[in-house]
Amino acid sequence: MKQTKGEKTFQGINYLFLAAAAATMLLPLIHLLAVSLSSPVAADSKKVFLLPVEFTWASWVHILQNGGLWTSFGITVYIAVAGTFLSMLFSVLTAFPLARKEFLFRKPFMLGIIITMIFNAPMIPFFLTVRELGMMNSLWALILPGLIGTFNMIIIRTFFMGMPAELDDSARMDGCTDAGILFRIYLPLSKPVLATVSLFYAVGYWNTFQRAVLFIRDPNKWPLQMKLRIYLQSPEELAAVNLVLGDYDFNTTTLKAATILFATIPIILVYPYLQKYFVKGSMLGSLKE
Amino acid sequence: MTGSAAGTAKSVQNRYLANMRKHWMLYVMIVPGLLYFLIFKYVPLAGSVIAFQNYQIFKGITGSSWVGLDNFRYLMTYQDFYLVLRNTATIALYHLVFGFPAPIILALLFNEVRRMFFKRVVQSLFYLPHFLSWVVVGGIVFELLSNQGIANMVRGWFGLEPVLFMQQQQYFRTIVVLSAIWKDVGWGTIIYLAAIAGINPNLYEAAVMDGASRWKQTIHITLPTMFPTILVLFLLNIGNFLELGFDQIYNLLTPMTYSVGDIIETYVYRAGVLQGQYSVTTAIGLFQSVIGFMLLWIFNRMARKTEQGLW
Repeated sequence: MKQTKGEKTFQGINYLFLAAAAATMLLPLIHLLAVSLSSPVAADSKKVFLLPVEFTWASWVHILQNGGLWTSFGITVYIAVAGTFLSMLFSVLTAFPLARKEFLFRKPFMLGIIITMIFNAPMIPFFLTVRELGMMNSLWALILPGLIGTFNMIIIRTFFMGMPAELDDSARMDGCTDAGILFRIYLPLSKPVLATVSLFYAVGYWNTFQRAVLFIRDPNKWPLQMKLRIYLQSPEELAAVNLVLGDYDFNTTTLKAATILFATIPIILVYPYLQKYFVKGSMLGSLKE
Repeated sequence: MTGSAAGTAKSVQNRYLANMRKHWMLYVMIVPGLLYFLIFKYVPLAGSVIAFQNYQIFKGITGSSWVGLDNFRYLMTYQDFYLVLRNTATIALYHLVFGFPAPIILALLFNEVRRMFFKRVVQSLFYLPHFLSWVVVGGIVFELLSNQGIANMVRGWFGLEPVLFMQQQQYFRTIVVLSAIWKDVGWGTIIYLAAIAGINPNLYEAAVMDGASRWKQTIHITLPTMFPTILVLFLLNIGNFLELGFDQIYNLLTPMTYSVGDIIETYVYRAGVLQGQYSVTTAIGLFQSVIGFMLLWIFNRMARKTEQGLW
């Protein structure tokens, strides 16, 4: 196909623009990495761009030796693992009946769920409810109140609804119960979508912040994002011990950079695996009835 | 007559019972999900009645006194409320004007890319920030715009004085909108790209035969086909118009920028959760939901005139 001159120019500009914009998605992280590996003097005198200047591991050694971050890391890993498992269990068990014609209350239940998407309860009644349930300062407050992500559940349901009817019929001929159809037939066939949704949940738990702000007052139970926020606000706290001892191989700038990356690296590590699935998975979530 | 109606009712009832007996497992399975939605969605929704009470934490909903619309009347005379409402509405409008079209435009630009390898790499990079938390993105924003950050590094090359962007009111809303676009524009394209992928290639071939340029094809084929998707997303957006998301603003706000950046959610957190003004802040929250629903209702009506609405 022949291109006009205008179209060629547009193409060129489009490629350049997209490449430049895409670069801005990654460069901040590389910049932070460079800052975290630079000497404090270089970092504060605006010499560091994408490569470390006066290379040193000191800020990383310091934050990795700082017990506070590891405690929060452990809490976040715990809620991510336990939460993802429970969320998947609840979501699958909810999605399956809602996907099946044999389930009589399918429509009113779906309506009831869609209503909660349109009418969010205000923050205070939500807060009071969770508090009444005795979950203040409990890690359950980071899991249970968001157990089912409505959108995630709908993704699973939409996938289940796409299963061919012949599968059900033949399974029933073989004497399969409803639970049998779910666990022996639907779930094995849904691996890609289950993987996608699990990863969405896992990332959600990893990034949990607002619920920690609302419900966790005990600093010993802060998840990673909350701890990160505190350290970003008052990095002196993170630096204090060594600064007193006269160790100046890092400062608040390099420590902040290292801390941000510390909380982000796990996401970046799973990202290549994640992105194999998510585009397909999230397209399945288009709302339809 | 009545006899046969009763008989039909009875047979319907029997059919229901037979179905429930046969598929009892489905009805058992739904129980955990049902409990979840009741406890964490409907109970708080019902708990919104404290907006019409003088809610006292030790008396609870049943023991607290009813005050009718007093809390709402109080809001109308309350300076902070107007400030917070103005901030929320302004930022929400910016999000709608700049943030909403951004993924549509980006999807159209992606669609013009012919080199598949380039497209894949660029898209993966664009999706990445969506998976970072707002604490992390907030940290990055503060770092880049700080005194020793990249923004001021570049200013330095041109001999300009450093600017403390995060502490100055005139930059706050721009930063909020730009960082939101940065984080989610790529992710937002997914659904539009799916819509574009569903377009029948014959349409384009026919257009080319008629001598339509790429631009004409975009205007007359791609955009109209995307329109229903755009409309649905617009309606979903408008329903949560005033809900900007706590995490972002909370992580970008400093006391220096409260006057332009304090929004309903951050205010409700401070005044409600931290200071215990439960009833008044619930009234604000309810006000927010009602505005959202009204906007949704109005725009849905308008949408139904031309295309399918949400309902």
